[in-house]
Amino acid sequence: MVSQLDNDLLDTAATIPDAKTPVIVVRLLYTAAVCSLLGAIFAAISSADFISHLDRQVHSIHCSVLPGAGATIGESGCRTAMMSPYSSLFRSAIWGGLPISLLALAVYSYMSVRIFLFARRKQVSRTEIGFLIAGSALPFFMSIIYGTISVVEVGAICSVCAAIYVVSLVMFIAVILAYRNTERRPKVFSQKSSYTTWFLQGFAYVIGVVLVYFMFAPQSDKVMEGCGKLVKTKARKGVLIPYIENKGGTPAITVLDPLCPACRAFENRLEISGMQKRLNLSVLLFPLDSSCNWMVDQALHPGACAVSEAILCAPGQIDEIMTWAFSRQEELMDIAKEDEKKLRALLKKNFPNTKSCLGTSKVRSRLNKSLRWAVSNAIPVLTPQLFIRDKRVCDEDTDLGLEYTLAQMLSAGGQK
Amino acid sequence: MKTAATQTALTLFLGFSIPVGLELVWLQNARTELEAASESTSEVAIASVSEDQYCSTHLKRVLRRVAGACGLINDGGRGCKPTDAKSVAAVSGDDFNTLFRPLSHRASIIQFDANEVMLDESAKQLVENAWSAQRGASFFFVVSRASQDGGAKKNQELSRLRAGAVLEHLTTKFDDPDIKNQVGLLWLGEEFAQLGTEFCSWNRSREDECTQKEINRSAFVAWIDCAI
Repeated sequence: MVSQLDNDLLDTAATIPDAKTPVIVVRLLYTAAVCSLLGAIFAAISSADFISHLDRQVHSIHCSVLPGAGATIGESGCRTAMMSPYSSLFRSAIWGGLPISLLALAVYSYMSVRIFLFARRKQVSRTEIGFLIAGSALPFFMSIIYGTISVVEVGAICSVCAAIYVVSLVMFIAVILAYRNTERRPKVFSQKSSYTTWFLQGFAYVIGVVLVYFMFAPQSDKVMEGCGKLVKTKARKGVLIPYIENKGGTPAITVLDPLCPACRAFENRLEISGMQKRLNLSVLLFPLDSSCNWMVDQALHPGACAVSEAILCAPGQIDEIMTWAFSRQEELMDIAKEDEKKLRALLKKNFPNTKSCLGTSKVRSRLNKSLRWAVSNAIPVLTPQLFIRDKRVCDEDTDLGLEYTLAQMLSAGGQK
Repeated sequence: MKTAATQTALTLFLGFSIPVGLELVWLQNARTELEAASESTSEVAIASVSEDQYCSTHLKRVLRRVAGACGLINDGGRGCKPTDAKSVAAVSGDDFNTLFRPLSHRASIIQFDANEVMLDESAKQLVENAWSAQRGASFFFVVSRASQDGGAKKNQELSRLRAGAVLEHLTTKFDDPDIKNQVGLLWLGEEFAQLGTEFCSWNRSREDECTQKEINRSAFVAWIDCAI
């Protein structure tokens, strides 16, 4: 018997004289190879976008697979997907985590090479195509899992990811059809050891990519230092509203505007990250709405003052009001833009507890106290912000690097 | 055969080196960018108190003198009697009134009945509204007056009690420990410059007739948007 490594490298070793691979099988294999190559290209696009964010800045993201389509800076399904904790692994161990797309790049690159090597043989065996089925099954099933997560958990479809799902499906179908059209022939070498060799080659691709990433991914000392400190951690009753209470959790403050889309996304990331369980989180309301906040020239989020007042009127319902406001931010801002009284009426209707309090001089004065607490701490005029104890988490660490930063900051403080 | 084996090995190596090479380039770029990146909050405004356009050097000087002399800055808000006001403000009554003209959009005039120091319902409401419209201001000034009817001493007392009534209502209504650090009372007697009828067009607690007598039986309340 020919040794397995030799058999793999000497691609003519297992051939039977005069036998030829059917044309249909060759075509199907090349189709699968092209799909795999496309998968590698799309995964490379995603990986490049992800890695560009390791400099902690905001970058444009490619969200179209059409040739010539540029990257976009604004909100998109691709940005939402990339910022979600599902886009990478080991997020608590390395800033941003290891991007899944990089693993996909390794797998598709290997599959492209492997399919190409088999396709160019005079004879391709069922054993070989059987391996391709197993190899294609990985991206295919991962596509199903990730597609489901996109829809169910993230709530956004990334078009580059969707393209990867499609090519995975086509590749999987192509190799299955190739298998069905391949004749059964006597085995000239052990199927099991061939699979092991090919699997190890693929594994080497993945491990190589992972090692390079862990060795060369840029790190920053700023994570531990944070970006500023609170001068005055204590506040008058009612200024910091208890939001998530965990016995033994680390005291933390989040500066939020209930109508700020970035706050909604941040809140979502924090929840999915599971880090909330380690925090004793209070909210400082900081509406970016000029009707109550003199620090902004215009109402960036019209109606945010009214919703903030509602929260102050019913602090026990903060979770309910926040969820309600987060889920219809655009609608509420439109209503407030037209007539803020309508928004106040809507708030009273949905949260009857706020009826006698909303709009009164008392609650307006309390909201002012929140803003003045921000002044006394000289915090930046932006939302969201997160403070762990008295240390401010840098803005650039509140998205991709959130889990890593929190893990580092919490462990530095001796949190259980 | 060896050539074929080499070709296969080369293909596998090429297939591996392309993604790894790209990865290295991306990571190196990110590292370079990270090193070059500036402080994240350098371009973000910092939360601060208001500093409105009307905060002229002159106004600030007067405010500092009044606030300091009336105990606001150091010991919490208390009152100044007319003579103090004149000396600490170091300006004539008319000039003093002029300084506050730019506050037309911020100030409210709380009116009282003749010989009365009690706040009526609309006056209470207006005081509350004025207080809750603090925004970024740091000092709440209450400048009370009396008309020239009756004796000077009586009017001085009326003026003092009117300022006190405003402070008392604030304390009762808001139960806010900041009040003592933020409210400054200044009661002006009849000898100090009276407000002209042009102040009748300001935000007043009463909508009825407004002559010079009515407008001076009052307390002028306003948050001052100046970082003094």
